[in-house]
Amino acid sequence: MSAAQQSPARQGITDMLAGLGNSGYIASEAIATVVYLAQALSKPVLVEGPPGVGKTELAYAASQLLEKPLIRLQCYEGLDEAKALYEWKYGKQLLYTQVLKEKLGDLMAGTQGLRESIDRLHEFDDTFFNEEFLEPRPLLKALWAENGAVLLIDEIDKSDQEFEAFLLELLQDYQISIPEIGTVKAKIPPLVFLTSNNTREIGDALKRRCLHLYIPFPDSKLEQSIIESRVPELEQRLRQQLVAFVQSLRGLDLKKVPAVSETIDWARTLLLLHAPELDNQLVRSTLNVLLKFQDDIEHVDAEIPALTRAANKHG
Amino acid sequence: MTQVLSNFIKALRAADVRVSTAETIDAAGALEMVGFDERPLLKHALSQVLAKSVDDKQRFDDCFETFFSPIEVGDNGQADAGTPTGNESDFDNSGDGGTPGDGGAPGGGGDDDSLMALLERGDAAALQQAMANAAREVQLQNIRIFTQRGMYMRRILENMGIEAFDDALYQTVKADDNDPRGEGLRQLKARLIEDVAELVDKQMLLYTANSGQRLREEVLQKTPLGRVEMRDFKVMHELVRKLAKRLVSLHSRRRSVSRRGQLDVRQTIRRNIEYDGLMFDTVWKRVRVDRPKVIAVCDVSGSVAQVARFLLLFLYSVSEVIPKVRAFAFSNQLGEVTDLFKSLPVEQALTETLNTWGMGSTDYGGALSELERLTIDDIDHRTTVLMLGDARSNYGDPGDRALRRIHNRARRVLWLNPEPRPFWNSGDSEMQKLGSCCDRVEPCRTLRHLEQVISEIARTAI
Repeated sequence: MSAAQQSPARQGITDMLAGLGNSGYIASEAIATVVYLAQALSKPVLVEGPPGVGKTELAYAASQLLEKPLIRLQCYEGLDEAKALYEWKYGKQLLYTQVLKEKLGDLMAGTQGLRESIDRLHEFDDTFFNEEFLEPRPLLKALWAENGAVLLIDEIDKSDQEFEAFLLELLQDYQISIPEIGTVKAKIPPLVFLTSNNTREIGDALKRRCLHLYIPFPDSKLEQSIIESRVPELEQRLRQQLVAFVQSLRGLDLKKVPAVSETIDWARTLLLLHAPELDNQLVRSTLNVLLKFQDDIEHVDAEIPALTRAANKHG
Repeated sequence: MTQVLSNFIKALRAADVRVSTAETIDAAGALEMVGFDERPLLKHALSQVLAKSVDDKQRFDDCFETFFSPIEVGDNGQADAGTPTGNESDFDNSGDGGTPGDGGAPGGGGDDDSLMALLERGDAAALQQAMANAAREVQLQNIRIFTQRGMYMRRILENMGIEAFDDALYQTVKADDNDPRGEGLRQLKARLIEDVAELVDKQMLLYTANSGQRLREEVLQKTPLGRVEMRDFKVMHELVRKLAKRLVSLHSRRRSVSRRGQLDVRQTIRRNIEYDGLMFDTVWKRVRVDRPKVIAVCDVSGSVAQVARFLLLFLYSVSEVIPKVRAFAFSNQLGEVTDLFKSLPVEQALTETLNTWGMGSTDYGGALSELERLTIDDIDHRTTVLMLGDARSNYGDPGDRALRRIHNRARRVLWLNPEPRPFWNSGDSEMQKLGSCCDRVEPCRTLRHLEQVISEIARTAI
């Protein structure tokens, strides 16, 4: 195959890169590849990486690109199926039984004996346990979505191991069993993103069912285009300085290194302050946007002149 | 295509990346989508399907680079440096038939594709092709140990038709000893052999990278801890960590198993909707069971020090299931080292501990009464006291009375003795006296023993 004649996969990935870019998400090629594969193979994606590199953001961008609704499920300890999958509308059920009480006499009219009455009642068995009285929670919503959906299961590492096991059926077959109704299967399999900050090791069973994407901190070229897309008003020179500064900050031994979201915040801060270029005073007074621990700020304080000087060379 | 993939997965598994069958099927699916045409694309796609953690990704990258890298043949492969894909021998060999390299099959086949012609033409691409084909014929991927190198090299050369080449060379030289062509052919042959050796080495690296390591780990697990040598410490630490990880995953599931407690009204109503609100099925609020408290007391004198090192390392590596560990070290005096382990990395804390407390002859009487003074208020029905020592008191007070008072308050007292059983109670060993104040006495000589003991603590503490 010649270089000019691109393979369909390459074409798809190039489109994906451009599409994500239009939704304001500057992706690396690995990211575009995983979204493409996830769609083509209809597999869920497990996204890992340090906090603030845009794991959640990726799902938002994908939903915009595919023009499908984003359904988000935030995980936390103690999350159970009543909150993640479905719940019965108890209030409505009670209300209806009260209202229909009077109807009961009419229904039962003409029946003789207990057995016949029960048989008659059986005809209305499922009245109160059908989809009318079902309150769909995120997972069920995603399965029921008419035109497909993007399902984001955020911070799966925060949930219990039981919940992880419960997800397996959904992730493998895009279906879920509800005891009172039966199996619900997705009309169109949703595109599923799971994110994890690695606070605990995710089970092998879950990993096996997913594509695995690790998003590292972006290199300086990628980070620059991210800033360009997110804070377009910022001058190019300052942008280069700012990215160089943050990149060298990541090389230091810090409790929490600044992520992309912090770089964006900082860019916005500098824009707000009409800063022409980085200088020691400016950096010192705005460092709390980048660093979130007092220890880190104190640690970096001594290095600021050297870092600023180095960064300004890039401008 | 599938042959290349399954070889690659074999190499991945050898590099300690766990790949399941389901993932192999996924990989085949992904491969069908992206094809072999673009290297970065292929790498991203396979890495996302096959490597599922950060460590795995690292190993995957290394493995991918070695597996799909070219062996440069002939004139340093400059002939086909232009096309990015032509370089990868394993790519090319994916096509099942009709490739020009078929001439490399046994016998050397057609005139033009004979080894002689290939070498003389300096056709690097075709030569590479022939080499890859020959490697596949002789199933080079089954190579396991380095002594097989020669055999595989010979087989590949034979498969490429070296015999015919040798004959021709012989004929040329016989006809005219000073024929420059003969000298040229000899050089070509030498270079070919070098290339084949490189190919075989690469394959061996791929498929056997970790087997030596594994063997070593297996042996180390059974070596008495006192006899582990300094140079193996790094491997041992790694090994302890691996074992610890296994224990953690084994026991952290169990930890969440609940006991009956208060009625959970909300859940009960929810669960009983199917019985129209009649409470058939009760749900109980789960009580998280207390995690075990462990007090580890280590004799750090002389021979026992080595074992103490690994016991402490192990205990602090399973902090996820046994979070509350107080550690004490003693020889002639006893002191608490818990803070040391909290503030420093484990290896550093270990060295520090051994340096501070490891001098002097053991005084069990003094150490145990000091231990009683320091900890008796902290010991309750949840505490496991773990004693590690050879119980050799230098004919002094063994301290059994203090230990008995501790035993009366604690949930249990375990004694780990690094000496083998027959040595107990000989000479100044007071194992019998001290052992009578313990719930259990165990020999603790190897990493296996340690694992069993700690697993036991994590399990029965629930």
